[in-house]
Amino acid sequence: EDTGEKYATAEQLYNEAKEEESKPKFRKALRLFEQIVPEYRGKPQGEKLSFLFADTYYQLGDYYLSSYQFERFQQSYPNSEKLEEAAFKKAASFYELSPRYDLDQTDTRKAITELQAYLNTFPDGEYAIRANELATELRVKLEKKAFEIAKQYHTTGLARAGNFRAAITSFDNFTKEYPGSPFREEAFYYRFDATYQLAINSFASLMEERLKEAKTYYQAYVKRYPEGEYLSSMNASLEDIETRLQNL
Amino acid sequence: TQAQDLPISDGEKYILGEIKVTGNVSYNEQTVIAYTGLKKGEEIYIPGDKLSNVLKKLWKLDLFSDINFYLTNVENGVADLELEIQEVPKLSKVRIQGLKKREQEELLEENKLREGAKVTENLITTTKNYIESKFRKEGYFNANVKINTTPVQDTTDTKSNLVNMVVDVDKGDRVKIDDIDFAGNENFSDAKLKRSMKNTKQKNLFRFWKRSKFVRADYQEDKQSIIDKYKETGYRDARIVSDSLIKKDDESITLNLKVEEGDQYYIGDIEFLGNSVYSDDQLQRVLGINKGDIYNGVLLDKRIMDQSRPDAQDLSNLYKNNGYLFSNIDLVETNVYNDTIDFEIRIMEGKEAYFNEIRVTGNDKTKDHVIYRELRTKPGQKYSQEDVVSTVRELGQLGFFDAEQLEPNFVDPNPQTGTLDLEYSVVEAGASQIELQGGYGGGGFIGTLGLSFNNFALSGLFDKEAYKPLPMGDGQSLSLRAQASTFYQTYSLSFMEPWLGGKKPVSLQTSFSFTRQFLFDYLTRRADKSRSFDILGVNVGLAKRLTVPDPYITVSHAIGFQRYNLNNYNTGLFTFGDGHSNNLSYTFGLTRDNTYVNPIFPTGGSKFKLTAKLTPPYSLWNDVDYANLGEQREFQLEDENGNLIDLNGGRVTPENAVPDQGKIDQEKFNWLEFYKVKFSGEWFTQIYDKLVLRTFAEYGFLGAYNNDRGVPPFERFFLGGDGLGAFSLDGRETVQLRGYPNQSVVPIDRPTGSTDDGATIFNKYSLELRYPITLKPSASIYALTFLEAGASYDNFRDYNPFQLNRSAGAGLRIFMPAFGLLGIDFGYGFDPIVGSPGANGWETHFIIGQQF
Repeated sequence: EDTGEKYATAEQLYNEAKEEESKPKFRKALRLFEQIVPEYRGKPQGEKLSFLFADTYYQLGDYYLSSYQFERFQQSYPNSEKLEEAAFKKAASFYELSPRYDLDQTDTRKAITELQAYLNTFPDGEYAIRANELATELRVKLEKKAFEIAKQYHTTGLARAGNFRAAITSFDNFTKEYPGSPFREEAFYYRFDATYQLAINSFASLMEERLKEAKTYYQAYVKRYPEGEYLSSMNASLEDIETRLQNL
Repeated sequence: TQAQDLPISDGEKYILGEIKVTGNVSYNEQTVIAYTGLKKGEEIYIPGDKLSNVLKKLWKLDLFSDINFYLTNVENGVADLELEIQEVPKLSKVRIQGLKKREQEELLEENKLREGAKVTENLITTTKNYIESKFRKEGYFNANVKINTTPVQDTTDTKSNLVNMVVDVDKGDRVKIDDIDFAGNENFSDAKLKRSMKNTKQKNLFRFWKRSKFVRADYQEDKQSIIDKYKETGYRDARIVSDSLIKKDDESITLNLKVEEGDQYYIGDIEFLGNSVYSDDQLQRVLGINKGDIYNGVLLDKRIMDQSRPDAQDLSNLYKNNGYLFSNIDLVETNVYNDTIDFEIRIMEGKEAYFNEIRVTGNDKTKDHVIYRELRTKPGQKYSQEDVVSTVRELGQLGFFDAEQLEPNFVDPNPQTGTLDLEYSVVEAGASQIELQGGYGGGGFIGTLGLSFNNFALSGLFDKEAYKPLPMGDGQSLSLRAQASTFYQTYSLSFMEPWLGGKKPVSLQTSFSFTRQFLFDYLTRRADKSRSFDILGVNVGLAKRLTVPDPYITVSHAIGFQRYNLNNYNTGLFTFGDGHSNNLSYTFGLTRDNTYVNPIFPTGGSKFKLTAKLTPPYSLWNDVDYANLGEQREFQLEDENGNLIDLNGGRVTPENAVPDQGKIDQEKFNWLEFYKVKFSGEWFTQIYDKLVLRTFAEYGFLGAYNNDRGVPPFERFFLGGDGLGAFSLDGRETVQLRGYPNQSVVPIDRPTGSTDDGATIFNKYSLELRYPITLKPSASIYALTFLEAGASYDNFRDYNPFQLNRSAGAGLRIFMPAFGLLGIDFGYGFDPIVGSPGANGWETHFIIGQQF
């Protein structure tokens, strides 16, 4: 029959495309897959075909559709030998969809969940190392987002009343929520600096209390990072705090 | 799922043989068998549980109108079965009779009557009921629907299983309310009660804009309005005892309503319980209802918590705007005696709430920093409902998001710890505009291409990834515009960054423009490309809103440069046809604006504006004796061979040399030298209710550092008319003065017929009374009347503050977000304009764009 021929051609195109890394061939294969996938649903060839179909979307970079098709594949063929690859590629599709850190991170969270689901199911899987790498990269992205938002409150502290206080609260939350983050030292530094800036821009009546608050944050930094890279700039601020406290 | 097969009554056990499917048209035999789950060779009871389950399963599909199993052959305990199915017909064509095309399409869509739909009994009945009830809701009580289906006769007579459907709709006449009768009402007249019913109206010849149709849902709502009406005036117990609908004939009905008014009540003692943050007096002031007032249930509820307005001044908001998110206020009637009711207002203040985390979701284009800098709610800050409401409004005003879909979500509000997270969910909206137009005008084809990007990201300009399709999300605006016709070309580019450097809201505005105009010969309708006039302009400006001494002051600085280049092109502006002129200036602006609340229709506050535009005082150091240029050899009239000549072309001696005005002006204007100061002030005063008075005064002065060099013919003031900035080459400023033609109010001391090159001094005063007709966000409309007076002068010698051109008139303004401000004014000028006798009389002005 006609569909059989199409099946053979499509599979051949797919294999060639994969070999040659040729997008036009993937596109041609996709056209044929789109036509024959519904016809083979429920038939023995359907399993292989569904996987190739989903993978073609993946290879073409259409990650919205590849994540959806891999998901369908997982549900339709829970016993397939390709299940592991499908689970990883579904997660990897969401990884690809994850936008830069300062935009909405819904897809990033989804990707982390899917990568984690993959690692739970296939702890020693073929893609386990890669999945861990991707998940770490995405977690750092979320940390960067939270860090940059908190830092922006610090940056705009002089322009908008209440922003230094907002920065302190945000960095507090940040240090609690992401204890292993690469931005942790910076967060401790900026939390101190926000308190310091807030204090020296305060009315005299509030200054003493706030300067003392800044000192506790200084100590919090020094305790964790006795050789920290911000130490010299912080020491200068601390000196200023001490003089101000004496002159109050 | 393999269920145990059980025999039914005297069912016998067989081995299943062949299964044949008959009657199927559109489904494959194998598919049907696979679906039944019956397999050749399995044991089966006939009749038995398994077969009847198969039947049930098939019926459930809603795909068949008849299903039968037949035993066709039994041999050695092997039973062959035949499954006969009758497929439900599919819809081929639908015709709806008795309705308009648009109504038909709506019905098809709403009932999903598409080609290929399964025509079940259910579909027919629900369609019929749906259409009938739809028209009932619109007041057609006699609507009648008949649905007929007929099988499609195929020409080849093969089984097609298709049917055509005819839906016959008879809407009948709309039922009108002939009369509304009230009984039991003593304190309110029938007419008053009818007025309180907003959508249910009795037939009346004079009320043609609202029809008197009967709609049940509206009627129920209106019954509530009657009760509310009573409640507002102290009749707390009022109720509708009974109501009946009497059908007079097919077209009209009468409504009978019986009300029981009860007694009128008064407010007794009001006691506040549980308040520790606010004193009884403070709460009482916000409540604004006192002992002895007529009981008004509606108002009382509103003063405690106004459900219709989240920003209302009520008790609940008094708490919610100051951190008490978890507060709760209950009104309890404690005592009713005679006609007086005592109240207790029980307040649970709860813990003060603080924001913990503030999140934004849905921003797939706009970057975090652009959004977060606009948020008034911040981590660690006390909860304020007011801040949430204004943040949502201000995010909407950015123009990057769909304002309708912006919403704040409270996440994990925790009354114990007094914290909550807040999430703003936004939906990106298209913020770019493309303008592409072509047309005939001014003697030739004019083409315009304009692009404006409202949420541009300059940072993504060299990042390939950012082009989706253009770098976006930094909240900058960029616009490009090109216009070309046979005799002129204009190119402009402007860029604006609202937060330069990201630290402070200092906005940077830059623009660049270039215009080239060729001499146009109106006789031949051709442009002479060898003769042209170019203007090149570059502007860079910074504006910053101050925080001290108050947050209403904005300071701005701008540097601008214009270069005018003439290439054998004579305009009225210059006495020379070849040459150039440069205008380098610095502008300082100071604005204080505390007008409120609505920017379209301010009801209070004032606005002051001072600007100073200065050029460098070149004449201080360039050692040119501008007073006596005409006596210098190089600025005297000469012929092509360099010989001095007089105006008639005759040779003259150096003592009799004539100055060459063109050369002198070129020397005077090669770098323009002037300073310009303008001041304006306006005040808004609420006079009565919504009537607002706008008082306005404006002054301007253009001066020269060096009187010998003089004031250039640029940058001058033109008074009169609508004040709309028209296309001009000379940077002129048009000042509105209604009741006179555009730019007609020239200094009165000028001789008639002199060229009008604008004035150097002007003053203008205006009083305007405004009354809003509607101030809805979709369209704000207000009416106005005005008194105005203004005049312009050539120098301070002529300045006379009482010699003004006066006018009066009235007008209308409409503001719609999509179009901006549109308006029309009719003004009467009481004074003559130069060159014509008598009062100027009536003028009509069309206003486009903001004019205040």
